[in-house]
Amino acid sequence: MRGGYLTRRLASAFITIALITIVNFVLFRAMPGSPERVILRGTPNVTQAQLQAARVRWGLDKPVFPDQFVAYLGSTVRGDLGYSFIARGRTVTDVLAQRIWPTVILFGLGELVAILLGLALGAYTGWRRGGPIDHVGNSVSLILYSTPYFLLGMAFLLIFATTLRWFPTFGMLTAGMQYPDPWARFLDFIAHLALPLATVSLGLVGQYAIVMRSSIVETLSEDYVTTARAMGLREGRILGRHALPNALLPTVSLIAINLGYVVAGAITVEVVFNWPGLGTLAVEALTARDYPVLQGVFLLLGVSVVLANLAADLIYGALDPRVRT
Amino acid sequence: MTVAQLQGTAPRGVHVGSGVWDLLKRLLRRPEGLIGSVILTVFIVLSLAPQLFVGPLQTAVTATAGRLEPPSGAHYFGTDELGRDMLNLTVHGARISLVIGLLATLITVAIGVVVGIVAGFVGGWLDAVLMRITDFFLVIPTFVLALILTPIIRELVGSAATEVFGIRMTLIVIVVVIGITSWSSTARIIRSQTLSLRERAFVDRARVIGAGSGHIMRRHILPNVINLIVANAVLTFAGAVLTETTLSFVGLGDPFQPSWGQLLEAARSSGAPGLGAWWYFVPPGAGIVLVVLAFTLVGSALDDLLNPKRRGRR
Repeated sequence: MRGGYLTRRLASAFITIALITIVNFVLFRAMPGSPERVILRGTPNVTQAQLQAARVRWGLDKPVFPDQFVAYLGSTVRGDLGYSFIARGRTVTDVLAQRIWPTVILFGLGELVAILLGLALGAYTGWRRGGPIDHVGNSVSLILYSTPYFLLGMAFLLIFATTLRWFPTFGMLTAGMQYPDPWARFLDFIAHLALPLATVSLGLVGQYAIVMRSSIVETLSEDYVTTARAMGLREGRILGRHALPNALLPTVSLIAINLGYVVAGAITVEVVFNWPGLGTLAVEALTARDYPVLQGVFLLLGVSVVLANLAADLIYGALDPRVRT
Repeated sequence: MTVAQLQGTAPRGVHVGSGVWDLLKRLLRRPEGLIGSVILTVFIVLSLAPQLFVGPLQTAVTATAGRLEPPSGAHYFGTDELGRDMLNLTVHGARISLVIGLLATLITVAIGVVVGIVAGFVGGWLDAVLMRITDFFLVIPTFVLALILTPIIRELVGSAATEVFGIRMTLIVIVVVIGITSWSSTARIIRSQTLSLRERAFVDRARVIGAGSGHIMRRHILPNVINLIVANAVLTFAGAVLTETTLSFVGLGDPFQPSWGQLLEAARSSGAPGLGAWWYFVPPGAGIVLVVLAFTLVGSALDDLLNPKRRGRR
């Protein structure tokens, strides 16, 4: 292969992001009805003059390619994603910015918990494969893997919020609540976070455990593990120093590739718990056919996933010289 | 993402030859293959003729019972917020979910196999372009793309009342969207297998006697990746059922043909979890978990049996 590892990875990420932008542009063109009518949607008694004015205002009187495409690219790069249909007068960027942090918190923490738990479970069951914990752990992982996140969420909601009343049922903070101090506000936030966080983590744990288990099993048949055994090293040391680091590498890149799929699950969990993040925003926009917001969500999540993958690839490359060829 | 991908298999050297019955016997001899097959048989029988077991699909008009009644002797699974029998809805939902899953799997596998074989066999710039597109679909959050594509395609095809295979147009759009967005992993697996087959002697022999590329791909490469396609299709089915469920859950289902995902959406929007109405979402939920689990079990058992690289490694 030509080119350095770094260059190839960067180029590939760039192409993917470029494709995401192009798809977004094409989708807006593919929408039924002419774009100026879509823009003026909701305005009563549209006159020809208004249509023409909108056409000129948004550059729709120019050819689709290259003029409109170049204009679209320019504004996208500047972070201008157009205006939301439902939140009239507000830019898509503004709407997205307001909803991004709840998702980052829920999703980031969920990934963290799931990675720690899943990798530990997978490493242990793979190491002790055939044992009772392996059988139980494997079955649990498989069942969790087959369960849609939102189903898990609905069950949690019914058990822990409705029946046991341990946690609140929806939102990120209690509506209309006056907090005596920031600490009380934080505790309320934690109480709201607990169930969705548990759902996201448990939904992910199964997959990560399966990946890690098979990765560990694979390394156990490697010669260097046999050598370590022959040297009489303790089991814990073989696992910790020889099997685990090598098994972790492929797992990291699989987890990164998996991110795109995880987004679907995260969206539904937010919907179940009415968590005010990008997922509920996407579904609100979907219900209202607010395409600019939907496309904004797609662009934002798409680019984030590509960048996360790029980061994972670069880390992988730094840790494992074999892939840099 | 299927278990085969999770486990990062890169299969090679598959050969045809073992008969279907022989394969079935070996599949049923494995515990996971047996469990999966039994669950699947039950659901396939139910969905072949749901009206034989629970009568015609109940609607808001034909519903007879009270709203959100807990399970009782008259309604084993309770009722929904319209007074429909949950057992009736769940059994009919099995048919709808499985038919959508089947059609979506067929499209996904067809696209994946064509792209994989052409990219692997033809190579060169075509391979580079096809693999770029494959990587694009592999990495991006395809579910969000599906969220945008589904309403756009629905508006484009219009709200025609036509049915395909007894499935309403709205759901056919979902089938197509799942197909468009999920073929990438199949394409990768088939391509890597094609790459190794391309170097085999029988391909050279075919070329020497004057066979064209199209002929070689159809008559020599395709038969040799059938095993791989079968195992991959079963795993893809699990993913397709999950994707359909998720799309329906966020409101893209069809209330007139309730799949399991649509039932779960109805359960959520009618506030079943907050009302303690567990019977509303447990039956369709259990259906999804069992079917996805069964397909995953059978799929990975088949993968073990048909994929020589994985044979014997337990």
